[in-house]
Amino acid sequence: MELRVTELTKEFQDVKAVDHVNLTMNYGVYGLLGVNGAGKTTFMRMLCTLIRPTAGMIACNGKDIFELDGEYRKILGYLPQEFGFYPDFTVQDYLMYISSIKGVRPAVARKRMAELLRRVGLTKAKNKKMKKLSGGMKRRVGIAQAMLNDPEILILDEPTAGLDPNERIRFRNLISDLAQDRLVLLSTHIVSDIEHIANEILLMKDGRIVHSGTQEEILAEVPTKVWSVVVSRNEVETWQKTFKVANMKTVPQGTELRVLSTDRPGLSAREEAMTLEDVFLYYFGEKAGAEDGIL
Amino acid sequence: MVYYELKKVFARRGSRIALLFLPMVLAIVMYFIISDERFVNSAGDGENGFAAIRKMRDVQKEWAGELTEDKIRQVIEENQRILATPERQSEDIQQQDIAYSWTQGFSDIRMLINYSFAGFNDYDYYRIDSLSPEVAVDFYPNRIRNLKEFLDTDGKDAFSEKEKEFLIKKYEELETPMRYDYQRGWKYLFQWAPAILMITTMVLGFLCSGIFSGEFQWKSSAILFSSYHGRGKAIRAKLAAGILTGTAVYWGMVLVYTGVVLGIFGADGAGCPIQSTMAGWKSFYNMTNWQLYLLVVFGGYLGCLFMLILVMLASARTNSTAFAVVIPFVLIFLPSFLSGTSISILNKILGLLPDQLLQLNQVVKYFKLYEIGGKVMGAVPLLPVIYAVLGVAAVPLIYLGYRKKQVY
Repeated sequence: MELRVTELTKEFQDVKAVDHVNLTMNYGVYGLLGVNGAGKTTFMRMLCTLIRPTAGMIACNGKDIFELDGEYRKILGYLPQEFGFYPDFTVQDYLMYISSIKGVRPAVARKRMAELLRRVGLTKAKNKKMKKLSGGMKRRVGIAQAMLNDPEILILDEPTAGLDPNERIRFRNLISDLAQDRLVLLSTHIVSDIEHIANEILLMKDGRIVHSGTQEEILAEVPTKVWSVVVSRNEVETWQKTFKVANMKTVPQGTELRVLSTDRPGLSAREEAMTLEDVFLYYFGEKAGAEDGIL
Repeated sequence: MVYYELKKVFARRGSRIALLFLPMVLAIVMYFIISDERFVNSAGDGENGFAAIRKMRDVQKEWAGELTEDKIRQVIEENQRILATPERQSEDIQQQDIAYSWTQGFSDIRMLINYSFAGFNDYDYYRIDSLSPEVAVDFYPNRIRNLKEFLDTDGKDAFSEKEKEFLIKKYEELETPMRYDYQRGWKYLFQWAPAILMITTMVLGFLCSGIFSGEFQWKSSAILFSSYHGRGKAIRAKLAAGILTGTAVYWGMVLVYTGVVLGIFGADGAGCPIQSTMAGWKSFYNMTNWQLYLLVVFGGYLGCLFMLILVMLASARTNSTAFAVVIPFVLIFLPSFLSGTSISILNKILGLLPDQLLQLNQVVKYFKLYEIGGKVMGAVPLLPVIYAVLGVAAVPLIYLGYRKKQVY
């Protein structure tokens, strides 16, 4: 199974939300990392046939997905960033309805629903109305609906947004569990989501995939180093103006800074191992995590 | 899939409240109908309610049968006999009411005689009092004579020669003597039918307004359109749900309304021509009460479905439930603000708007004529054809428009 994206572009008036993206994906978990507004959602919605591209092509096994129409959507599971549902439906009704529009026969759907509800830990909540569920439970119903047709392509747009840390970890594990033998594309602006489960990372900025590869490849290819240095509190502002500062921590001697720099930024600076968070800061700069925590 | 679409419609709290509104409307209408029926007993006292309905039926049934010249003569004679009684001559209201009670049996026929012997656009309740039994022979010819007189005077410029000929021909085609029977059930059924059908349509408009736009309001459109049937069968299921909802609620309401009204008043007079009632005397549509009933309910169904299709079209095209929900209100109320205009062409257009399908019992009373391909006809045969064609044409627009939706 191959999903090939060629020169994919989407323009909204004069703004290029997605700008000449070229990409080939096979089975595995792909983490699409970028700040809010990078074009991740527009890109994913085009992959889900929800938005038609201005230019370029998305091909599934060599065939245009918009021409494949229903045949492509038959192997697709999608959890949108804003997971909409029917508030007065029970979880069971909701999943049975989604099964019907996914073309899953009722008998199969009932079995699959029971299995998925068990996996997402919602068996007891199946008769609860959707509007009565907590945010985490709704997201779990969201992932269950995406999996109802046992899709070969699973697209998850910010699946952990708004979840508390425990729920996020649980959700990440669930995605890892579901990722066997399928193509999973997971978008997020939360680095740790990707760090744990993605086989390949795609860094998206201003509508373009600026870098892609395995975590190790990406870490190795960043043309900078990470340094740890303790400075006095009144020097912090100067350091922030001079370097990209990934983290600040107050210590008895002053402030410990985590700094990105190709050269040693000071005599007392100690080189540290680079993490994906540092990469995120390197590529996306100070905007990274401006609206939400990057962790 | 259709089951879940129906569930989406009826699971909403607002939908349930709107549905509860319909039996309330029915109860209010029935209260008005029953309290409107008044019978004056032989002591001159007024009675209301079910007993009054039964008594009125009994006295009017005595005059049932063919409305022959002889029957007209009998009515005029009976009226003259009552006029001459001391009770009728009395200054005392109670005594006059006693005299009135004797006229109730032929009160409907009295109205027809008043119409026949007054001018086309005149009505004089006491006209019968000045008639001699010998004029009974003019009862039916007068109807045609009055029309001709009207067409030569007040209606002279309102109709073409062809239209005038058409109207006269239709009047002449009325089979006489007409059959007459007690027909209060049909009278009340028709009287309140437009209100019932319009309210039902507006409630249905509310129920169906979110079928398509709701997906965008609930933000569930992304999952819908990314699913296998999302751009095909699921849209057809939505359309089916809208039409099924309209069909079930419309016929439920119509059948309950019909059953209750005719259950109380009886279905007597089903085979009588509508011209044998005061409301239908001038109509050029020669049909019975039963035929008019079928026309009203099936025409109403078509009008209701057409409006629902427009509601769904607006809902699908604009993604706005609020915009869709006002469509039946606009289509029903706007023409009534414009009606009564002296602009002939506007009147003709108003006569062909979809709200007319919800009030066909009124349409049959009007002289709204249209000439198509050299043939003159009324609005009644045109309206179902126009809205069946437009309705069927609108369905693919909903399907194709919604199918191409993008979710940003």
